[in-house]
Amino acid sequence: MAAEIQQPKKNYSQFILPAFVAAAVIYFIVLAKAAVFPFILAAALAYVLSPIIKYFEVRGIKRSYAVIGLYVGAGALFFTVVYLLFHFLSFDLESLQQSWPAYADRLQKFVINLNAKMVASYPALASLNLEAKLNHLLEAAPQFILSLLPALSLLFVVPFITFFMLLGGSGIIDYLVDNLPSRHAEIIYHIASRIDSSLGNYLRGILTEAFIIFLIAFTGLLVMDLNYASVIAILIGISSLVPYLGAIVGVVVSSIVAYLQFGSIVPIIKIVVFFTGIRFFDDWFLQPYIMKKAVELNPAIILLALMAGLEIGGIWGVLFSIPVTCVIKEILHIALELQATEFRWKPKPEPTRISIPYT
Amino acid sequence: MRFYNPLNVVNRLYDEEILAKLSFLKNIKLFEGIGKRQQIHVLESLQERTYLKGETIFTQGDIGRALFIVFSGKVALSRLDPVTQKTDVIAEVHPGEFFGEMALLEEMPRTATAYALEDTKVFMLFKIKMEALLFARPKIGVVIAAQLAKILSARLRAMLEKPSQD
Repeated sequence: MAAEIQQPKKNYSQFILPAFVAAAVIYFIVLAKAAVFPFILAAALAYVLSPIIKYFEVRGIKRSYAVIGLYVGAGALFFTVVYLLFHFLSFDLESLQQSWPAYADRLQKFVINLNAKMVASYPALASLNLEAKLNHLLEAAPQFILSLLPALSLLFVVPFITFFMLLGGSGIIDYLVDNLPSRHAEIIYHIASRIDSSLGNYLRGILTEAFIIFLIAFTGLLVMDLNYASVIAILIGISSLVPYLGAIVGVVVSSIVAYLQFGSIVPIIKIVVFFTGIRFFDDWFLQPYIMKKAVELNPAIILLALMAGLEIGGIWGVLFSIPVTCVIKEILHIALELQATEFRWKPKPEPTRISIPYT
Repeated sequence: MRFYNPLNVVNRLYDEEILAKLSFLKNIKLFEGIGKRQQIHVLESLQERTYLKGETIFTQGDIGRALFIVFSGKVALSRLDPVTQKTDVIAEVHPGEFFGEMALLEEMPRTATAYALEDTKVFMLFKIKMEALLFARPKIGVVIAAQLAKILSARLRAMLEKPSQD
């Protein structure tokens, strides 16, 4: 029996339609950036949550029930956490409300004093006009907080879109792969699984890391009897999603609060030592253990990615910069490998050869 | 009169298709010796795809990156003889059988072309997933590696014994 496998002739007109569709999609994204943004966030959330759904799915639970179960469970957990946080925060916020005028006054006096001393020593600093800048900052703070309110709508829109994305699963990707030439399916899935394993490991790793740092910071600050421990710990946990930022935010915010609360330098030293400890613990124990399978990024690359992210997409750009860099790095790796294997940039790999025959 | 059976609710929660796939994996030689609960992790590592009748799965000379397990349908493996330039079907792969296992060991060019003889559903096990299983779940990885070695040994023996049978 003989079968003829025909190699299709190269016909570049076949790429006209896909290229047109891709260009139209990119044009639409650029045009409707604001509308597409919640979908990007939802897709990222769906990607982070998908292993949980898959966990139940491969154990025989129908996908729809697994998604509903996850939402019910996450909702219950969310409300419990919010309730507990408000329980803690209510004390903190109440005391902040009462002591804020005194704190603001002390902060202002501190800056005025410092400014006066500095200007006396270095008259050039007078041109910086620190006092006026601080006043402006204190006035602008409530306005900045109000400007964040529209972002709260994302809290409802994103989980809503994510729900339907989770229900659909990998349907869209499978549909696209099904409509590409079949012999390329293997390489497409190979690339997808490579990106998935490095990005997935990174995201799951960094979420675990942020949660552990939040727990340590919360416990440590409580032990040190610092006010607003819960608020600061949440801030540290969230900022830990961006490399190096967690410890910096921790030191700066806690030191300011400690100065306002205790008015001496000893608690600040304690806090600096505590956060230096967290930083080393993170570098020496958490990261090697949690992030061992994730993509390794050079600190210089991380810094470049963070700065580029800030310039392109502001605070969201910073948050997405490292995962996107992971994907770019993996794609570059795969591209170089493909250049070597498919286009013979390097000599053909030699198969393993053994001189002793099969016995 | 029909009585309400609470077991029906539990049954409705379960996806029959997934349960069928799990019981299918039990009978695959490559996964022989892997416990029922651990089969779940194997299923998690597999990628599923349906090839229509006549579609090429891979071509001789392509770099191999996955092993294919036939779930339903039929696949033909054909090889082009470089001397005679004739293509011969060397094997047909049926449900429960697999092909392309060399890709799990070395990323080398495929030695045959595979195409679907009818609408065929396959599971792909990629080298990267196999490596993840080996490191993250050594109990499963060791079984697959040992089975792979046995299968390759059997194929080699069959090849060596073939001329004497002729």
